[in-house]
Amino acid sequence: MRVKVKPLECTGCALCELACGYHWDEAFSLISSSIMLYRAEEKKDYMGIIVKTDQDLFIGRPEGAGAVKLGELQKGGGGGGASAKPILIREACDLCESVGLEPQCVAVCPHDALYLE
Amino acid sequence: MDSMYYGDVLIVDLDAGTTEQVDFEEADSTGPGLAAGLALYRKHLDAEPLVFGSGLFAGTPVPGACLGFVLARSPLSGEPAVAPLSLFAGAEMKLSGFSMVVVKGRSSKPVYLWLHDGVADIHDASALEGKDTWETTDAIRREMGESMIQVISAGPAGEAGSKLASISINYWGSGDTAALAAVMGGKLLKAVALRGLGMLDADEPEEFYTKAVELLAGARKDKGFRSICEAIGAPDIDAWLKPLTHRVRSCFACPSACSTFVKYNEAPSVLESSDVVEPGMLVTSAAASLWLMQGGWEAEPACRAMEAMAREGVDMVRGARELAAKPLAGGDEIAAAVKSLEGSQGAGWPAGEQMNYGLFGAWVPPLANADAWLAANRVGYVLGICPTYLMLSGLDAGSLFELCAPAAGVELEVDRIADMFG
Repeated sequence: MRVKVKPLECTGCALCELACGYHWDEAFSLISSSIMLYRAEEKKDYMGIIVKTDQDLFIGRPEGAGAVKLGELQKGGGGGGASAKPILIREACDLCESVGLEPQCVAVCPHDALYLE
Repeated sequence: MDSMYYGDVLIVDLDAGTTEQVDFEEADSTGPGLAAGLALYRKHLDAEPLVFGSGLFAGTPVPGACLGFVLARSPLSGEPAVAPLSLFAGAEMKLSGFSMVVVKGRSSKPVYLWLHDGVADIHDASALEGKDTWETTDAIRREMGESMIQVISAGPAGEAGSKLASISINYWGSGDTAALAAVMGGKLLKAVALRGLGMLDADEPEEFYTKAVELLAGARKDKGFRSICEAIGAPDIDAWLKPLTHRVRSCFACPSACSTFVKYNEAPSVLESSDVVEPGMLVTSAAASLWLMQGGWEAEPACRAMEAMAREGVDMVRGARELAAKPLAGGDEIAAAVKSLEGSQGAGWPAGEQMNYGLFGAWVPPLANADAWLAANRVGYVLGICPTYLMLSGLDAGSLFELCAPAAGVELEVDRIADMFG
């Protein structure tokens, strides 16, 4: 079971990042989640979602979604620039099992852009 | 009292070129968000203050919790007026470590304010003088090596002190219908750049989070301008934009995606990141769209006109209202028409009478229940919830007030909020 992404359903609200960040830190931030909204190409409206597991990254690009093994990722780690915390050094998704809840990113997504499979 | 940064204020003295973070001891009595902003505005009135702030819940998962504000004396009315900081700007301001910023005085040279990680720096903006808002956003992001910085800027119109000037959030304009960009221009404050890498603590985190998620579960979810159009009985903007529509976008933490990205420099169906660097425009203004649509404009030139107004830092609503009477087709004609706008029109909506609540301007759509809109604005700007979402979603204010205590130990109710605004 893992969190997967339907990227074209995403509207970029970042609620998934907030919920995941709360899961790890009991606080609200955009720097500690295992899921990351890619919004580094704003002027092009090129936006997607990345979910880190302990094996791979599930990357939901507008043109398609799929998993990439951690060692095969060629660049980036979410983009954003100098001050962004790359997703590669964040905690891997544990499906919120450590807090005994359903995956919170899936629960809070208003447009069903995230699902479990 | 540091939950949600409630009670902290950054004082920026442009005369002296200094920044100082101080406690806002009156916060308990004033209340959060715009209520605190108004108190700070009055406290520093002699220094012609420009106040940037965010509402109590901005930056949290409360539905619609995107809202910050800019507050200053409007050059149009001579009275205090508010512009909304939506998209990601209001939330990122809070996450940058500051909930209230008071900018006093006037700089001797163009500057921009850079807020990040609880640090405030004043940077030279001489190289940005005369740049449009797109160029300014790109230049600051390039200089800082960070593409997700939020840039609140004044375009050429603001620098020139135009009464049509309007603050822009990144590339996309804003709801500033009070010429607050001209206040920025008058202070030689070209921009405020924000990056939100901080962390917001709640007084009672589990209770706050649980209640916020419960509200989200029952919250109204929408895509496009549909709910706004339906509420005011206006024609369907979504159908007009459809041939150009790429995707819809939300503001931060909002279940209603009421902005639409349109592409006219490449096919709207293109999904990948192509070589076209500027494929189109994020349409955020229902009022401007309605003026142009009802003026007989085709969607493509209308969107190009909105892009031109956003670049120039011109109020799209008043600009669109003035342009509406003379549909144009060509890019050069449109750019020239935008540069020659005279500000001959007020910031009303095409459906119904203009509503002007002074502080909130004409940002509220013309619905029958004006009192409810005024209340939604007050509650929204105090709590950091988009008033449009608050109004159209039917979100219960009482449920929101129940979140104030676990958020920051604050007790609020409707009557107290009305009192905050005198």
